[in-house]
Amino acid sequence: MRDHLNTIRKDPLLLVLWLALICFAVIWIAPFAFIVFTSLKGNGEIMSTGPFALPTELRPDNYDVAWNRGGFSRSFFNSVFVSAVKVPLGIALSAIAAYALAKMPGRFNRLVFLLIVFGTMIPFQVMLAPIFTLVNKMGLVDSYAGLILPYLAFGVPFQVFILHSFFRGVPKELSEAALIDGAGHFTIFRRIFLPISLPILAALFILDFVATWNEFAMALVIMQDQSKWTLPLGLMSFQGQFSNEYGQLNAAIVITVLPAVLVYLIFQRYFVSGLAAGAVKG
Amino acid sequence: MMRSKFLCGAALLGAATICATAGVQAQEINFWTINFSNQAANKALESIAQEFEAKHPGVDVVFTQRAVDEHKTALRVAAGSDTGPDIYFSWAGLGLGGEYVQAGMSVPLDDYYKKYNWKDELLPTAAAFADDFAEGMHGVPFTFKGEALYYNKTLFEKAGITKEPETYEELLAAAGALKEQGIPAITFGGTVNWHVMRLMDVILETKCGAQTHDDLMAMKASWSTTPCAADAFAELKTWSDNYFLKPFMGISQQQSFSLFVAGRAAMMLEGNWLVQQLSEASDLNNYGLFPFPTGTKRLYGFAEYNYVSSKSKNPDLAAEFLDYFISTDVQQRYLGTMATSSINSKVKYENQRPLEVEWNEIFGAYDQMFVNGDQAFPGNVTTEYFRVINEVASDNMEPKAAADALQSFIDNL
Amino acid sequence: MSALFRKMEDRPWLFLAPAVIVYAVFALWPMVDVTIVSFQKWNGLDANRQFVGLANYQYIFLQDPVFWTAFINTVIWTFLSLIFPPAIGLALAIGLNREIAGRSALRAVFYLPVIIAPIAVATMWRWMYDPFFGLFAQTLTEWGLPVPDFLGQKDTALYYVFVAYVWQQVGFSMVLFLAGLQSVDRSLVEAAQIDGAGRWKIFRHVTVPAIMPTITIVLVLSLIHSLKAFDIVYGLTGGGPAQSTQMLALWAFSQSMKAFDFGRGGAVSVVLLVITVAIVIPYLRWSMSREVHE
Repeated sequence: MRDHLNTIRKDPLLLVLWLALICFAVIWIAPFAFIVFTSLKGNGEIMSTGPFALPTELRPDNYDVAWNRGGFSRSFFNSVFVSAVKVPLGIALSAIAAYALAKMPGRFNRLVFLLIVFGTMIPFQVMLAPIFTLVNKMGLVDSYAGLILPYLAFGVPFQVFILHSFFRGVPKELSEAALIDGAGHFTIFRRIFLPISLPILAALFILDFVATWNEFAMALVIMQDQSKWTLPLGLMSFQGQFSNEYGQLNAAIVITVLPAVLVYLIFQRYFVSGLAAGAVKG
Repeated sequence: MMRSKFLCGAALLGAATICATAGVQAQEINFWTINFSNQAANKALESIAQEFEAKHPGVDVVFTQRAVDEHKTALRVAAGSDTGPDIYFSWAGLGLGGEYVQAGMSVPLDDYYKKYNWKDELLPTAAAFADDFAEGMHGVPFTFKGEALYYNKTLFEKAGITKEPETYEELLAAAGALKEQGIPAITFGGTVNWHVMRLMDVILETKCGAQTHDDLMAMKASWSTTPCAADAFAELKTWSDNYFLKPFMGISQQQSFSLFVAGRAAMMLEGNWLVQQLSEASDLNNYGLFPFPTGTKRLYGFAEYNYVSSKSKNPDLAAEFLDYFISTDVQQRYLGTMATSSINSKVKYENQRPLEVEWNEIFGAYDQMFVNGDQAFPGNVTTEYFRVINEVASDNMEPKAAADALQSFIDNL
Repeated sequence: MSALFRKMEDRPWLFLAPAVIVYAVFALWPMVDVTIVSFQKWNGLDANRQFVGLANYQYIFLQDPVFWTAFINTVIWTFLSLIFPPAIGLALAIGLNREIAGRSALRAVFYLPVIIAPIAVATMWRWMYDPFFGLFAQTLTEWGLPVPDFLGQKDTALYYVFVAYVWQQVGFSMVLFLAGLQSVDRSLVEAAQIDGAGRWKIFRHVTVPAIMPTITIVLVLSLIHSLKAFDIVYGLTGGGPAQSTQMLALWAFSQSMKAFDFGRGGAVSVVLLVITVAIVIPYLRWSMSREVHE
């Protein structure tokens, strides 16, 4: 604290800067406050009191009603299930592929790598209809596999890209010594590369979890059946049906958003390092 | 399934024939329908199915309920594959529901209509849609819905309106009187598109008359050269300019309902299903009801049908279930759960709320109807219909230009 | 068995196969398929797709009443996305790059919207924009100001949607810039200070050159990201009022999956795909050459 005071004394402009940042932060956080307050109010109070007035009569039952009406226990489970399968599986596929591209000599490595990097930039939102047609042809509409496979396909490029550049930075000596000792590539990958890349894998894991948890457009076309909806679809449909039940609608927003927020708050540092890794290399 | 196999094994030596019948009877009726916003309807479906299962041991009626858009997509998915439901819900008539019939999704039901004498039980207006197709009768009525103007009695009194408008001119006069008192005459939610469309539909009927209106919706008459089309758009603009509760483009239909209940506007153009919602949200005695005075002898509304799917492996059983569903006994016991009135003409009405009585009188007074625009047009034309309506209602397009735009879209189909 | 495994273990394609197959089938093939279907007429119901040549393109370019609105909206949106989120993100990053109290808490606040589902952001803002009871309507009413129909007015709706997008995206640019600012050489800054250079001069001649690669990356990512804008528009306006907030990605989706005209929807997709590729390829060349120089 004294350090801060000292710097401020040396540089009064810093104080102005600090205040400006605080003001900005208040604006940035205001929507959250508004949503949480609304989620605890009854409709009558919402229509009669100011937006930032604290709820006079707490209505926690908004959450209960929204949870049941929106079938959120089902969509919550689906979101958890899809993320729990997709995220580890995707990272495993990417890590193995990235290792091969970085450390195993292969004739087509360069071409494959280029194709994959190309994929990091292509928006899948453009291809929702053909993806739907394809998944439908395979008979996988409304199935977890039908959603997870395209998720994998569009998650692989970014992860391979990041891991590839990380693996390439690992000194040759490390793996060559093991190769001479007679270890195969899979052993080297598992024994040497996996342990040293744990921090970056953790970062990718968290980023991918949030992306999967939040994904909407693909799920919208693949999961037609309400029993297979993920949380974003549940929220959208809830808004469609109950847009005049303001308290419950905002409770539904909190329900959808909270898990990602918690994950973020707990694993904050990985987010930053993961993004930074992408940025510096990207 | 497991159990019937086991039983067959045990009885192998004895009665092989019994096993065969048991095997046939252990079957499912897959019923695809939409999620009804009215919870009572969802529960009624379940419990009718359970009754049917009790009477037909071994039969399992499985419901798959989806939101409207998802349901439409799911039907397309089914149309392109080998599997699908036994029975599916869709709208009646050539437009929205007709598309699936024309794609071969529905089995002709002529034999069943004869076998079960359905026409004797059904309300003729509701059953008429089954005959719309060139080949065969398709679908069985599920519900029958009308749309009319609900009004807030207190606000009408305040504006000195003493009797329900019977002509379009009287309606305009009433809207004007409300406006003078600073009361917005009517409320719509613009975000959902189909809500403002309802006003356009009824104005078209008013301005064009029944025949021309039908020709326009069937895309047989040209929107750009039929003058009443542009007139109708102009009339829509008059309403949105003067008599809408504003803002309206940024709110949804549910929000406009909340505003109607809160007394912020005097009227709402809604279906008979609103009675239930209104009774939950407010005091029914404060509301009245009258059909939009189109001057034609037709009621604004639509029917919903259940179709037997061409993917069904056992259409006989599906038809049997539908027969049970529309039977007088079932319709009588579940009256009021799916709609205020039944598609069965033999059902008796008792202990009804005043607005429901009024609906029944309205249903009795008409024997023809005209359907909502989004059910008459194919999907892509509906999108354009929505767009030009919204453009006119928010003052961005001239009425004549709107009619031209719609026609040029139709020409390019 | 183990000898076989040893042999297999050194085949790169075995390592690559799972990822590459999934990627090729579910990401590359749809790209090819959407191009094929853009030359066909298909309603999703019929068994056959009929070849129609360039008819779908002719239609979307010349007759489609919405395509050019969606196109121009996409251009406006992209342009604004290149200015506002990066600029605000950079300003915040520079501020947060100093040793100030509550720095990490502030950083967390600005980054928080990034991790929220775009569809939830849309739902939140739709409620805030409610013209009767929403946050802005109530605040404006309290101040005695007229309340606009935020999302219901054709000429301004897109910008109100964009405000929500900025709120969500700023944190993303900020974090990238914070990482980039680490590469600014402190000793150079101090040397410049001793030479009596002002803040602006230091920023202009020391900071900016050092973070130039980061600026490029942020701009490219913002651009790619803006072309993907789908969820937030879908959730806030659904393309309305009167299709005035349509964007190419959403319009392609609506044509294919709502109006069931896969051919026209495919043509819209291809247009967006071509634009994306035209931006992506030069960028990839640039970043590849950077990698080689390293």
